[in-house]
Amino acid sequence: MRMPWSRKSTNLKLPPASVADAASAALAIPVPTDGETGVIHLQGVECRYPGSDSPAISDFNLLIRPGEFVSILGRSGAGKTTALRVVAGFEQVSSGYVRVGGQLVGSSFVHIPPDQRRIGLVFQDYALFPHLTVAKNVEFGLKDLPADERSARIAPVLDMVGMSGYESRYVHELSGGQQQRVAIARALAPDPVALLLDEPFSNLDRQLRAALRRDIKEIVRKTGATTLLVTHDREEALATSDRIAVMGQNSIEQIGTPEEVYQNPVSADVAKLIGPCELIPGVFRGGIVMTEAGAFPTRVTADNSISDGQQVLSLMRASELEIEVAGEDEQRTGTVELREFEGEFSEYAIRLDSGTLLRVRRRAANGIKVGNRVKISSRDESKVIVFPV
Amino acid sequence: MTISGVFSGVMPLGWKSTDGKRPPAFLVASAAAVALAALIPVAYLLVRSVSAGSDWIDIIWRANTAAVFGRTFLLIALVTVISVSVAVPIAWLTVKSNIPLRRVLSVASVLPLVMPSFVMATTVIEMYSPKGVLQGWLSAIGVERLPDIYGLGGATLVLVLMTYPYVLLTVRGALRRMDPALEEAARAMGYGPVHTFRAVTLPMLRPAIAGGSLLVALYTLSDFGGVALLRYQTFTSTIMIQYQSSIDRTLAAVLSLVLVVIAVMLLMGEGFTRGRGAYHRSTVGAVRSSRRFDLGRWRWLGAAGVGVPVMIGLIIPVGVLVHWLVRGLLNDQELLPLLIPARNSLYISLLAALATVMAALPVAILAVRFQSRMSKFFERSIYIGFGLPGVVVALSLVFFGINVARPLYQSIWLLIFAYVVLFLPASVGALRSSLLQVSPRVEEAAQSLGRSQWRVIFSVTVPLVMPGALAGGAMVFLLTMKELPATLILSPIGYRTLSASIWSAASEAFFAKTAAAALLLVLVAGVPTAYLTLRGHGDKADASDRSNEIGETVR
Repeated sequence: MRMPWSRKSTNLKLPPASVADAASAALAIPVPTDGETGVIHLQGVECRYPGSDSPAISDFNLLIRPGEFVSILGRSGAGKTTALRVVAGFEQVSSGYVRVGGQLVGSSFVHIPPDQRRIGLVFQDYALFPHLTVAKNVEFGLKDLPADERSARIAPVLDMVGMSGYESRYVHELSGGQQQRVAIARALAPDPVALLLDEPFSNLDRQLRAALRRDIKEIVRKTGATTLLVTHDREEALATSDRIAVMGQNSIEQIGTPEEVYQNPVSADVAKLIGPCELIPGVFRGGIVMTEAGAFPTRVTADNSISDGQQVLSLMRASELEIEVAGEDEQRTGTVELREFEGEFSEYAIRLDSGTLLRVRRRAANGIKVGNRVKISSRDESKVIVFPV
Repeated sequence: MTISGVFSGVMPLGWKSTDGKRPPAFLVASAAAVALAALIPVAYLLVRSVSAGSDWIDIIWRANTAAVFGRTFLLIALVTVISVSVAVPIAWLTVKSNIPLRRVLSVASVLPLVMPSFVMATTVIEMYSPKGVLQGWLSAIGVERLPDIYGLGGATLVLVLMTYPYVLLTVRGALRRMDPALEEAARAMGYGPVHTFRAVTLPMLRPAIAGGSLLVALYTLSDFGGVALLRYQTFTSTIMIQYQSSIDRTLAAVLSLVLVVIAVMLLMGEGFTRGRGAYHRSTVGAVRSSRRFDLGRWRWLGAAGVGVPVMIGLIIPVGVLVHWLVRGLLNDQELLPLLIPARNSLYISLLAALATVMAALPVAILAVRFQSRMSKFFERSIYIGFGLPGVVVALSLVFFGINVARPLYQSIWLLIFAYVVLFLPASVGALRSSLLQVSPRVEEAAQSLGRSQWRVIFSVTVPLVMPGALAGGAMVFLLTMKELPATLILSPIGYRTLSASIWSAASEAFFAKTAAAALLLVLVAGVPTAYLTLRGHGDKADASDRSNEIGETVR
């Protein structure tokens, strides 16, 4: 990664013939290389906490290329923070290989401690040093530089995050957003191989969150830092990332650009994580799914293969549905339970007979009112994605 | 990268903590050394007693143990019950009510803590003995004879005055931390103020009362100076007499083991009272400061009530000392030499405080950051010192010094070692609570910025737990200044401390001679006490209290 203050070499500080590689050679363990190692590379990683039966992550694979911004999106407890801590070196892996900057840093027999991995880390609660000023916090990771170079680097970093003038403040004298910026400055100052962000916006209120998200994206873009963000907030992941890795339980289910993942989720689980939706059961026959909300043309994503007569889950997204007032004795309809007018669009909540609530988002007007029976269809011939049950 | 980095995967797994972190080897090694050192006294006593063979039952009987046992327990029970009944109302009045001079009284009511028991005892004898000052005043109005101060009554009085601050401090802390919403909820459900106190406040205070009572009981068990001057024979004074009067010290060793058993029984008793309820607040966020209860006209009476123990436990004793000093100076009486003992006391107390805090640091870090069976064992073993009376530790270190560590015997280092063993729990406790306020994420941040675990401890952890280290050190300093039996037994010959020289004069009833030395001791001990009391006073006046802010920020 190139910073304005970058030194010429951005290699890890490890000795060239690192002890890790020597050890792996001595033990005749094949070091996996797929041609491309990327900046961060996890291969078949498993991490277990003692006393727990199931691993926190298992068979975890992730490759992040130079300059990329990748998010891990997952529910709490899915193991996404564990994955981040594995990269940073705070957790030791029980199998698989962790490489940072092309160097093997973690496996069942190698564990390079966090202080020798040159990774910039921004914690959920920022973890700024309360006993140091802003400038001292930023300077903390620069201990290997001569004093004059150290102080020369503080100013541009603080300037980049928009915190110039706060050098002599203490952490408790800053707002949450300001602490966040200092945390990022502190992580970037030592010119790390990669930047890891652990739910960095979750402690901020909604409005501030969106603004700061844009700022950070901009900072990261300017520095070209390779970045891994861990979050449970899909908006955050969709808005910031070059690629999103969606985590199910313990491992990554799908990885791709935000558009790819949103448009072609490989499983019902991924679909639920990546956007608001409803999954309603139906029967697949001849390219059509028959549900209680009606019949819809379908498409199948990824390797899922579905045969005629199979039970499926169909993905219903508010923006891809259309409604019209139903005729008197029409079957498979729903009742409008709520209408929220938002100006250009209105959002309708449709109660199906089974009790399921579908959301439909469409241009206002056309006079559908609360209490109307409505017929549901997919908009503009778009096809409904179905998953095998 | 280090070699241990490469091979850490094959290190023995027993070292792993419950959350999978492996503590750095230097931390484990130093904590193990501290724990081992703390176990030396008990281990050595055991060896010594076992080598006495089967005679020990005989020995115990010869010493008339049953009677001493009974007297000791009677004293402990009386002192504990009275201390609690004095301290709980004071705590409530100074925290929850609107008595006048509340802040002044709340500091003053803790200050009797600075009085060493033997100094308190000399002043009590001066005031209330059959030939004392009070008798002189009362004769004028026809009271012929006060009840005898020597014996159980006097010993109880002295010990209550000295120990009720322990209960006061713990209960007051619990009252401050208690969420006022709990009491308000009770009031809203129709409970009156008295009923609320009984049904909500008191049960919530139970662990604090039990913890404070334990300190009182252990102190009473281990006190020597006060009970000896007031001629009430307890286990500790029996051991001291045995040690000083006989050449064969096996009896003292065996009796010390019995004393250890009593201390362990008290410790277990406290654990028993805790019950299973949860006492910490269930919600997060700052505690609202509660409205103080308006006592109306009664508030002056409340203030007077708080003033009584302050009067008897602090003002009168200090007054007696000042009176002696002035009279001595006017009459050109001989006073104790001050300079050398004061210097010695200060020196060993500071050394003990420093050594104790440094020994406590690895144990506390290991216990908080790397919880495992091993770190629990280390922490438990240092808590032994908590239950060991000074006389026991000192005696076993005498044996240990003579037989094993000959070069240390008759040096101040063995004395410092005794203080460290005795007072480690106080500083580990303070460091522990300070550490709990520091998020482990902060340390991880430091490590991710390229500092090794060893350097993280010094550049981040230690500065952040400084408030706890200072509090722990202040406590050790205070306790060392006041400690008598260990000082008497282990001081090198000719090495005079303030407490030892006061004691030798007082035990020959040259009370007035002690005035200047005793006043100096009380003054010096007052410094850390004031620090500790004012520090706990972070209501709102202390907005600048760094420790509070650090805690807030990190949370």
